[in-house]
Amino acid sequence: MPVPRVVIIGGGLAGSAAAMKLAELEFDVSVVSLTPLKRSHSACAQGGINSVNDLTRQLGDSEWKHFDDTVYGGDFLQHQPPVKAMADWAPRIIDLMDRLGVTFNRTPEGFRDQRRFGGTLYRRTAFAGATTGQQLLYALDEQVRRWECAGRVKKYESADFLGLALDDHGRACGCVVQDIQSMEIFTLPADAVIIASGGCGALFGRSTNSMACLGSAVSRVFQQGARYANGEFIQVHPTAIPGADKLRLISESARGEGGRVWVPRRPQDPRRPQDIPESERYYFLEDRYPKYGNLVPRDIATREIFRICIEDGLSVQADRMCVYLDVTHLPRDVLDRKLAGILEIYEKFQGADPRTAPMKIFPAVHYTMGGLWCDYERTNDGELVVGSPRNQQTNIPGLYAIGECDYQFHGANRLGANSLIACIFSGVTVAPGIAAYVDAQQRRPAETPASVFEQSRRAHQEQYDRLIARGGDGPNPYRLHQQLGAAMTRAATVIRRNAELDAAYQEVCALEEQSQRAAVADRSGWANQNAVFVRALADMFPLAKTILRGARLRDECRGAHYKPEFEMPAVDSNDPQQRKLQAERWCDVFEENNRRWLKTTVASWSSERQPEICYEPVDTSLIPPRPRLYGLAGADVIEQAWRTRQSRRELQPLVHVEP
Amino acid sequence: MEASRLTSLFGRHDFAIRRLHSLLGLMPIGGYLVFHLATNAAIIDGPEAYQHRADQLHKLGLTTIVVLEWSLIFLPILFHGIVGLMIVSRGKRNVLNYPYADNWRYTLQRLSGVVAFAFIVWHVFDLHGWLRWSWWVENVARPLGGARFMAEEAPATASAAIGRAWWVIAFYAVGVTASVYHLANGLWTMGMTWGLWTSQAARRRMNLPCAAVGIVLLVVGLGALGAMVRAGRLSNLPDGAAGPVRSAPAPAADHASPRVLGSAR
Amino acid sequence: MDRPSERIEDTRSGSRGSPSGSMTSAEANAADSFLVRVLRQDGPGLTSYWETHRVAREPDMNCISVLQKIAERAETIEGRRVAPVAWECNCLEEVCGACTMLINGRVRQACTALVDRLLADRPGEIELRPMTKFPVIRDLVVDRSRVFAALRKVKAWVPVDSYLDMGAGPRQSQEDQELAYQYSKCMSCGCCLEACPQFLKIELVRGKGESETDFRRRLDEANRQAFLGAHAIAQVELFNLNPIGSMTARQRLDVLTGEGGVQICGKAQNCVKVCPKGIPLTTAIARANRAAVRHVVRKWFDL
Repeated sequence: MPVPRVVIIGGGLAGSAAAMKLAELEFDVSVVSLTPLKRSHSACAQGGINSVNDLTRQLGDSEWKHFDDTVYGGDFLQHQPPVKAMADWAPRIIDLMDRLGVTFNRTPEGFRDQRRFGGTLYRRTAFAGATTGQQLLYALDEQVRRWECAGRVKKYESADFLGLALDDHGRACGCVVQDIQSMEIFTLPADAVIIASGGCGALFGRSTNSMACLGSAVSRVFQQGARYANGEFIQVHPTAIPGADKLRLISESARGEGGRVWVPRRPQDPRRPQDIPESERYYFLEDRYPKYGNLVPRDIATREIFRICIEDGLSVQADRMCVYLDVTHLPRDVLDRKLAGILEIYEKFQGADPRTAPMKIFPAVHYTMGGLWCDYERTNDGELVVGSPRNQQTNIPGLYAIGECDYQFHGANRLGANSLIACIFSGVTVAPGIAAYVDAQQRRPAETPASVFEQSRRAHQEQYDRLIARGGDGPNPYRLHQQLGAAMTRAATVIRRNAELDAAYQEVCALEEQSQRAAVADRSGWANQNAVFVRALADMFPLAKTILRGARLRDECRGAHYKPEFEMPAVDSNDPQQRKLQAERWCDVFEENNRRWLKTTVASWSSERQPEICYEPVDTSLIPPRPRLYGLAGADVIEQAWRTRQSRRELQPLVHVEP
Repeated sequence: MEASRLTSLFGRHDFAIRRLHSLLGLMPIGGYLVFHLATNAAIIDGPEAYQHRADQLHKLGLTTIVVLEWSLIFLPILFHGIVGLMIVSRGKRNVLNYPYADNWRYTLQRLSGVVAFAFIVWHVFDLHGWLRWSWWVENVARPLGGARFMAEEAPATASAAIGRAWWVIAFYAVGVTASVYHLANGLWTMGMTWGLWTSQAARRRMNLPCAAVGIVLLVVGLGALGAMVRAGRLSNLPDGAAGPVRSAPAPAADHASPRVLGSAR
Repeated sequence: MDRPSERIEDTRSGSRGSPSGSMTSAEANAADSFLVRVLRQDGPGLTSYWETHRVAREPDMNCISVLQKIAERAETIEGRRVAPVAWECNCLEEVCGACTMLINGRVRQACTALVDRLLADRPGEIELRPMTKFPVIRDLVVDRSRVFAALRKVKAWVPVDSYLDMGAGPRQSQEDQELAYQYSKCMSCGCCLEACPQFLKIELVRGKGESETDFRRRLDEANRQAFLGAHAIAQVELFNLNPIGSMTARQRLDVLTGEGGVQICGKAQNCVKVCPKGIPLTTAIARANRAAVRHVVRKWFDL
């Protein structure tokens, strides 16, 4: 029997992990990537990777608590069995990465060191300097290279995924790919295809994502019938450096060490920030949240910075939204000892010294929680069946999704340092599942008649030929992209309002119409980046529309999705009795919300080029949903009220929700 | 085919060849340079001292001298020089684009190597004649203006040869400086080649001793050159006020012949 | 392949030739715009040519945003419509290594090349060229597959038995971790190779009638013989420093002392100066030299 073949689209952490594991399982693996694997976006992750470890275990931590933190942080929108499996496997995955040579920071005794990260009380995060993602990616890239030398892996490192080849059973039997140097279009027959192409930051114009995070591979399979889930959940990071080309992350530790956020009281004050006197500065976080000040939780900081610039018009610059993050008042030794790494990044990219002048920062789109819908198999006890062919499989048989482009692990908001573990976990565990899938096939998909492949190849070739023939007279694709980014950023990031979402949808539809005619200025048949971009631009719209539609329909606040019109009622009374009533009311709304909205948004692409949305219940069988109260005013009374309700309810049997 | 076989031979033994090249640069070539410059420096103390040193050396006997000079001097220098030229030809210098101090040192190392090699080849011919075979000396070296040095008349022949024109003096100054730079900087790079100083701090620290070696050798070398030129000027004074410098004998061949291999008829 | 029919030999004479009316407007916006000279090449082996673009100056620009603006406008200062300049980039945070090119003659990443600083050093103009040690694919995109070939050659990986759960990796001292971390930050950008006077370009042209496989084989052979470069030597150090990697240290040292090995280093030390990650490449080379000598002596005397 010939060696079974798998094609992986994307060579970041998830894709490389899958390639390595599949090669070990004696698969013939092809990795298709827009960039050399080593240059993938995973390299940008700075903070670390979460898992329970021997140290935290002795302080009372457990896999269960990691699991609990993850679903709590995700506002209970994840199916719990895969998340629990991830938390269970995390320690072993870190061990594996350690064996693969990741240069984790060490304790004096030579053990891996851990730090504490947001959303947990334990020092659960292993890290390698300030470039954990890069180090993890490199370790996997090296293993893939090892298999490449052994002839088990073939890399296509400047290739664009154009679409799936589907056999007559509707199974994925390979894909059509274009070499973006020779512009040759060819097919790669396979028994299974894995999409591991990462997030879709490009929909928002500039984000913290890399330039290859176009979302095009995901969009292409979405348009071929794969479902897309929880699209509206987009994580925005409060503090990033707004560059002309991209938004670069500034770690929260700047505020943690005493950094203050402010804007000049006079809009777009032309003076140098150092020359603006205290009385003319507006420390809006300290003013609006006297208790927490600059250390309000991430989502609140994000919203307030967004509001001060967009609603109050107090952005430091008129043409580019930003506020000051000021550390100039901190002692030099604190700056140099604790913040040197961050200040260096700012200095490198802004050419200004944050020790003498405040940094200019603004929230930035950071992570795509949503993604391709994928399945999983659970036992009756709610455990994941590891090695099941259903795990990570999309609704198209033989098409799998892993890493940032699947939707399974982060729910409505991602916990810091959980993305890396999710990527490697899904990458490593998808492999045995695929082996089981391939074994179960009567006729191997890769053995589909050549005519099927030739047909899809020809279709894509014709499409490309038409694209090139279009010429340079249409709308400018780069400007269309900027307009799309502006529309998406305005309507679908931090603060979402139904009227704005409706308007943005109209605007995006109009832009989409223009994108069909966008100019292709470069008619070269060699390394034509222009044509590749124009094609990717057109594929941004289906996902953009899905995000907008999902956000429009979801009338609640959950995780990263915030609609002021549907905000939870305030618990702000000073009268204890009144306060209790307010808390009860809060809990009522919370439960009602969960009844209506604790559901996965599942979109499919209709023949009218519109997303069709339906909802799917969420498997919360392991940890019942509870209020997510990070830093919320009145958290104490709400918790009290909630506890009372729960203890009353425990007398009744728990209801399991089937996925 | 032959050429490619040769390249692959060099390729396979590249490491050994380059390490040998490096080693020979120190010993015997570097060692010999120090010895040679120190010997020359005897001229600073006067022609007798210099002659005395020459006599001492030549007491070794002709066969020993020939064996020693070929095995310890000429062949190592030829090997070092030829491999060096190959190394130079396989580099693409870029000091104008990357004008860092270390890059200048790298570039000067190559430049000084080429200059020193050319100088040494010429210098050996000019004074020594390359071969001690009398037929060669009579019929090739001398007619071409080489083999000017005679051990019995060391100060006179040497100073006459070196001081005979301004460009010869200048070439000597350049040649000595290039050789000394090449040795001193080569000492430092050798430490890296053999992994003797690995950390950045150690490498920075070792700059000092290597520079000191270079400066001392340069002072000694150029001092000897100056003394040699001055000695030549004095001996050329018409009234013979030069003192006890023995005058250069007119037919040098007679004196040279006993020390030449194979008898000339 | 479609190529611009006209090529500008001297861009300066081109701008001098423009009508005086537009000259004044050009002068007027000289302060808020600047020229970008790009060395373009339409494909491998073709002649390169200079092209000049005018870019409006904005705050906080880097060379990536300059190239984005050029792509958006795709018009030279002569007003000729051209294909957008091709270039490689991904992370824009100087961790992926993709956007490496020669900026004002010096190799570096375009993302950290800030326009304000470049114009302060050389007012009015920025010059962009592809790296010179790698074959040009198109414009500023070069073929750096040789960088990765070197990583394959030195077996730059930890040879674990399997990816099953075998517990944690070996313990490591903080000191070793700190050194390893330095080496491990290498993003294979090729700066060290571009600036290295001992690292020479290999550009092979596929012969008539030569099959793809034969050509690949010839290229592999050429890569095998040529200098590994500082980055790969540092990777040998990295993996020989790793407790598991050190078990196969001899294999890597064989490569290091073989053809194209560490002996080719000429100690110009540009590598360490241009390395954007500040990797102690010369320390790696010196340490590799020490290990290589020890290895060869051991082999020679059968120790």
